Amino acid sequence: MIEVTEVRAGYGDGPDILNGISLTAEPGRIVTILGPNGCGKSTLLKCIAGFVRPRAGHIRMSGEAVTDVPTYLKVRNHRVGFVPQTDNVFASMTVAENIMLGGRLMERRDRERRFDTLLGQYPSLASKKNRRASALSGGERQLLSLARALISEPSILLLDEPSAGLSPRMMHDVFEAIADVRRREGPSILMVEQNAFEALHVSDSAYVLSFGSVAIEGAASDLLADPAMRSLYLGGDKH
Amino acid sequence: MSDFIIHVTIMSGLYALLALSLNLQAGLGGLMNFGQIALFACGTYGAAIAFHFDFGAVSGFVLAVLAAALLGWAFASVGRNLQADYWGIVTLALAEVIRIIATNEDWLTGGAQGIGGIPPLYAGLDGQTRQLVILATVLLLVLAAGLFCRHLIGGRYGLSIKIMREEPQLAASLGYDTIALKRQLMAVSSVLAAVSGFLFAHYVSFVGPEQIDSSETFLIWAMIVVGGLGNNAGAIVGAFLLQFTFAFIPFVKDWIGLPSEYVAAGRLLLTGGGLIAFILFRQSGIVPERVGGRRYV
Repeated sequence: MIEVTEVRAGYGDGPDILNGISLTAEPGRIVTILGPNGCGKSTLLKCIAGFVRPRAGHIRMSGEAVTDVPTYLKVRNHRVGFVPQTDNVFASMTVAENIMLGGRLMERRDRERRFDTLLGQYPSLASKKNRRASALSGGERQLLSLARALISEPSILLLDEPSAGLSPRMMHDVFEAIADVRRREGPSILMVEQNAFEALHVSDSAYVLSFGSVAIEGAASDLLADPAMRSLYLGGDKH
Repeated sequence: MSDFIIHVTIMSGLYALLALSLNLQAGLGGLMNFGQIALFACGTYGAAIAFHFDFGAVSGFVLAVLAAALLGWAFASVGRNLQADYWGIVTLALAEVIRIIATNEDWLTGGAQGIGGIPPLYAGLDGQTRQLVILATVLLLVLAAGLFCRHLIGGRYGLSIKIMREEPQLAASLGYDTIALKRQLMAVSSVLAAVSGFLFAHYVSFVGPEQIDSSETFLIWAMIVVGGLGNNAGAIVGAFLLQFTFAFIPFVKDWIGLPSEYVAAGRLLLTGGGLIAFILFRQSGIVPERVGGRRYV
């Protein structure tokens, strides 16, 4: 479970990018953060992951305060999995090596068991497990990055724009994979997304940011039906 | 002539150790250390101070290695959150501070006059035999250092350092403590630089602040850029190539009929020109870094 309370953050000596944001992501649920470019979505995710230290406010994971805990300790001690937006696979390594790297802190036997399970769940990766990651398509790379985060059985999964740069078909596959993760493994999933319509369809709830603050929040189904939301972020009534 | 070749080979070997050290930092870890000469200074002054205060050579070696490891660790710790270029400027400034301290603290370092009379290596041997034994020692050390670096780069530790270099955020998200990795890498590689400095001090029997001028750092940079950044063999090739080229500048000068002051200028021209030429036209150097092709996990 992730609890964010009144977090303010920014870069260097610059102004606050986040102006007191609060949110909650419970286990077994997908929470999406939406909003236009520059609203602070990625900064919020970086704060939660530990890449950016909040200037004020509190972050808790599974009930423990982790506001100033660096990323590597969150990964080790709080089983956080992180899927970056770009440059998220090691192109010179094989698909199998990429996945195994995510489980480098696990016992060898557990890691291999999880590896086999994940290959069973992602046949497109299984058929290319001995090929270089550089040979994968954008969608396959995203699945690979997701599989690498999942091998350690995270209790918290942070996804930074998992559909960025993907074709509509690949986007659909990636969101389906994320929904499957929730069904099978039940972690708290926090996802930053630009493709609001598709993301809301697999999410339980969402927060819409504007200028570093929460402008709209609620259940994903309510937001999909909200006329203001449809007008502002979902491209009117075309869907 | 053979004594001259042996001398140049010994100097090349000492620079090869320095180049291997910098290659671990910059080539493997992406750490733009512009203060490498300060780590070499730990070796030279470790030997010189131990001699000055009559501690003995073994104590001097321990002092040199510990001081270098500590300084390397401090380099990595100071401004640990800075971007690579800003961190590079910090290391350059720190190396200059150390050179100024060496120039001014007469009681410890001999000041601008330096410390002379350091006992030569294998003092019991005579003439060319001694030179040959020193040569063998240096070449063996270069071989051992090269194998050590290869082992370091080829294993899991090398993988973690490469991941830190290529994708620091991704490395952290895989549970790597990137700051600790930087500190370890700097401390370990600094020891190689200290060994080079210690041997250098006992080989030339004199240590002074002019030996640790910042321009020497850029000479070592030129060696690894020309040889091949990220490749151990490249670092060794670059060190030998530049040292031998520099050694033969005086002969070329005589052949062309230029005045003596052109020797230093020719050395600077080769260092700067070589750096620029390879950065512009062959960034991977003479022996490029090997990418992929290894089972990591």
